[in-house]
Amino acid sequence: MATKTDQTSHVDLYDSFSNAVPKNAGLHALLLFTVGIIATPLILALIFSTQSLYEIYTITDLMPGSEGFSNYVELFTEWNFLTYMINSFIMASIIVTGKIIFSICAATAIVYYDFPYKDAVFFLILMTLMFPLKIRIVPLFELMAVLNWSNSIWAITIPYISSATTVFLLRQYFLSIPDSYVETARLDGVGPLKFLVYVVLPMAKGFLVGVGVIRFIGAWNQYLWPLVVINDQSEQVVQVGVRNLQQAAQSGFTDWSLIMAGSIVALLPPLIILIIFHRPLLDTMTMQQK
Amino acid sequence: MSGKEIYDSNWQAALFLLPTMSVVVLFLYYPGLETFRYSVYSTLFFGMDKTFVGLDNFEALLTSEEYHQSLLVTTLWSAVVMFGRLAVALVVSYMIYEVARGSSFYLIAAIWPYAMPAVVTGAILSFVAHPELGIFSYYLEVFTGIQFDWFSNPVYAFILLSGAAIWKGIGFNVIFMLAAFSNVPGALSEAAELDGVSRWKMLTRVYVPLISPTLFYLLVINLMKSFFGGFALVDMMTNGEPGGWTNILIYKLYVDAFQQNNLGIGAAESVILFTIVAALTIVQFRYTEKFVHYG
Repeated sequence: MATKTDQTSHVDLYDSFSNAVPKNAGLHALLLFTVGIIATPLILALIFSTQSLYEIYTITDLMPGSEGFSNYVELFTEWNFLTYMINSFIMASIIVTGKIIFSICAATAIVYYDFPYKDAVFFLILMTLMFPLKIRIVPLFELMAVLNWSNSIWAITIPYISSATTVFLLRQYFLSIPDSYVETARLDGVGPLKFLVYVVLPMAKGFLVGVGVIRFIGAWNQYLWPLVVINDQSEQVVQVGVRNLQQAAQSGFTDWSLIMAGSIVALLPPLIILIIFHRPLLDTMTMQQK
Repeated sequence: MSGKEIYDSNWQAALFLLPTMSVVVLFLYYPGLETFRYSVYSTLFFGMDKTFVGLDNFEALLTSEEYHQSLLVTTLWSAVVMFGRLAVALVVSYMIYEVARGSSFYLIAAIWPYAMPAVVTGAILSFVAHPELGIFSYYLEVFTGIQFDWFSNPVYAFILLSGAAIWKGIGFNVIFMLAAFSNVPGALSEAAELDGVSRWKMLTRVYVPLISPTLFYLLVINLMKSFFGGFALVDMMTNGEPGGWTNILIYKLYVDAFQQNNLGIGAAESVILFTIVAALTIVQFRYTEKFVHYG
């Protein structure tokens, strides 16, 4: 007991000493500098997005420009960005909702049901990790044509609404719910849907928010597949919209300030969601580590 | 599976599995396996003309210098990007762990690139590195006297593309490393700190060995991500130029399959990519305890 007290006072002394001397000032400065560098290209893009053609050509001009408002308005009125943004939101919402609901259902069957070939089914779902889009892009492209889904919202959503990762993590999560809850549900004769809605899902709320955020960011940033399967600009998503701006600029139809404005617009939704939900995002992503 | 299996209705289980299984079978396994069939056909003119060619597509690829170059570029690029991301993220997350644990400001300031679309990364860096208009190129020339033409010199283009991928990938890695750092027992770092061990030594001698399982997991995941990612960056920044030195496998696949409309060759390229993803997945499953990743 005596030694413990000694130790504590020693640590207290050390703490108060180190608090008096700002020993971390150097490290704080270094950290600020580093995150500053990480942010620099984005801040530059934000500034350039407000500039006029003349200001953009004055390379060292780093003042907010004179056409901030009009550049952004032009995106939406002349470059189809309203349609692109709406399409991206619809696509991301369908993928996120679909993935979560489908995965909850599958994980429920795998954890709470006793049925034959269960391990095989789970394995089959998990093994889809071996088939990322790039492995099946050619036949999938043909399949979309056969189903008459090319150029439609179905092509960029339905093939994405199963998720081995989400099923796997939900299974782990469901398995970690104490037996006593499950046992009570069984004794009370609670049906599966009621059990899910009133017992399991409220517990998994934070986890599901995290999954939703990860999935939203992934879906929103989808690029290769919409580029390949959507040709109709009225069905296109905002990532390809930014590319269209860049190609228009290369042909001399617009300038870099508009591309920067388009980039900011395409970045804002996932960025805002990350900032708001960074805690559940981190908890969910690192859940496997605990 | 312990006492969790409280329901035993087979048809209910089937109903719960139906949505995921239909998508898995129809849109993952079916096209995934079809890739292998496509790869032994020569498919031209949007699939109108299909002839069985055996392994000709593979032979054409594996003897083509362009494909060799693409393999080389992708391997180099993946290695550089993987090491770059791990190194930067390790230092950043260690600093946050040491001086700003629990600070949302630093956390968000370090992880936000995770939300950044690769198209946006590509667009922004194309502009700041633009040979005539780019502010980055401008100041670099002012300070070094060298004119960096990022898009016509193969080495510079490769560096620019790697930098872009590292920048975009920092956030993801910081998230995992911070979690790993915070799992290190506090007593350990306090003891070492009292012994007057320098921070750099703490990081390399104490923390890196302790978080090595996470580092290894991230190593595999980053390799996988760079082998299969990078398309948007190349498409926005270099189009595989100059001289094919940024022509990574996935970009070449896109050009061959969807710009040259040679679907058979494209499928053969997918099969080769599949062997890489399969090998990396097996390594991941066997040597790390983490079975899943966010693609």
